[in-house]
Amino acid sequence: RISSDGKAAKFQPPPKPVIIDKQKQREERRFLSPEFIPPRGRTDPLKFFLERKDMIQRRKVFNIPEFYVGHILAVTTADPYANEKANRFVGICIQRGGKGLGATFVLRNVIEDQGVEICYELYSPRIQAIEVLRLEKRLDDNLLYLRDALPEYSTFDVNMKPVTHLDYEEIPVNKLQVRMKPKPWSKRWERPKYNIKGIKFELPENKMKAAEKWRQPWLEFDMLREYDTSKIEEKIWKEVSEELKK
Amino acid sequence: MMPIWTKSGKKHAVTLLKVQDCHVLRYISKEESGGKTSKLLVGGKNASPFSKSESAMEIFKEAGVPRKQKVTTFNVTDDAIIKPGTPLYAAHFRPGQVVDVTAKTIGKGFQGVMKRWGFKGQPASHGQTKTHRRPGAISTNKAAKVYRGKKMPGKMGNIYRTSFGLKVWRINTKHDIIYVNGSVPGHTNCLVKVKDSKLPTYKDCNKNPPFPTYFADGDKTLPEDLYDDEIFQFTDPSVTYA
Repeated sequence: RISSDGKAAKFQPPPKPVIIDKQKQREERRFLSPEFIPPRGRTDPLKFFLERKDMIQRRKVFNIPEFYVGHILAVTTADPYANEKANRFVGICIQRGGKGLGATFVLRNVIEDQGVEICYELYSPRIQAIEVLRLEKRLDDNLLYLRDALPEYSTFDVNMKPVTHLDYEEIPVNKLQVRMKPKPWSKRWERPKYNIKGIKFELPENKMKAAEKWRQPWLEFDMLREYDTSKIEEKIWKEVSEELKK
Repeated sequence: MMPIWTKSGKKHAVTLLKVQDCHVLRYISKEESGGKTSKLLVGGKNASPFSKSESAMEIFKEAGVPRKQKVTTFNVTDDAIIKPGTPLYAAHFRPGQVVDVTAKTIGKGFQGVMKRWGFKGQPASHGQTKTHRRPGAISTNKAAKVYRGKKMPGKMGNIYRTSFGLKVWRINTKHDIIYVNGSVPGHTNCLVKVKDSKLPTYKDCNKNPPFPTYFADGDKTLPEDLYDDEIFQFTDPSVTYA
């Protein structure tokens, strides 16, 4: 073959294919359980350090999976009065509260037309197993409004099969808008202080406008309420992940 | 305060008390003090030496110890006397022991009779004129005087109070921390006095305590954490009822 300027072209091998490992590229999702973050106060940080040591010790023996509000969990606890000495409850996680060893989460389900909510302590030794059946986040941080929603939104099959979820995928957000029972509700969920995005309000326009009267727009600019946890989280995340790898 | 679980699955609340730089300051003999037993002066947390007069600093200089924020006396039998200047550690107490804790309660300032003494006050409506939280009558007609000690408004809190009969669940020798059952008077990070219990039911509770105290330079090195027998330790698997 003759190239454009007349001389014989030297054989150029094709460029090597560049292999991009997509799995490694996806950064590991850093999840720090919210009960590790110490609340703002005047307690000695040594107390939180000792508490964290105990929490990590428990996590080494018993696996507490990553879960958010809106996941569907199955919890087996040891119960001296049950038939098999173990009690299994399936429900949707409504809220996660408490800090340190006393951290709790509330599971809700409707069994035989009766709404049942059970508050479990994450670090209680009576819990035998926690399985995540379905991973999905919701639009809100706590789903207490499910108490006033139609019961179909809180019913979950007790013998549900766990839905597989790969480690690196993002947790899907379920943008479900829940329909409510007629008023009165346990709390006035339409008021802006609850900041709920997961309800389909079928109230008349004037009621929604009247609820806006209780909006406090100055709260987001209040500097004394700011609690920036990013640096604390970084430190604690490093500490916890190192200890757990050992 | 922290939760603690026993091996049967029951939950108890526990207060953490830190033993911070405690030293024995002085020994006062029975005749000198004029009491029934001899006394030992013990000092707590370190503080700056510059804000006290020279005469007050003498005790600390004699013992060879930095100035302490709090100095308390303990009544001690003659066989339990310790040389001034020895440090005291949390390992002086052992899990399973029962302890009394004294501290100054949280000061609430000048408070009215309803908060201070728990009076019922008066109704909010039905014709009450300017009387909703007042004490009402303070004495009878026949008495013709007000008795001494009558419960009236005044400064509430900031006085020494003791919680008796608190069990010690766990001791951390590395950071000198005592885990004591239940709540303790005082605010967070306040100074607290911990003594062996005086209640008659717990007289025989202390089996072989470190006597007169735990000396750190001895031959025995204790493990970092000492637990009571009934505590659920987090290294064990979950509790099951067989």
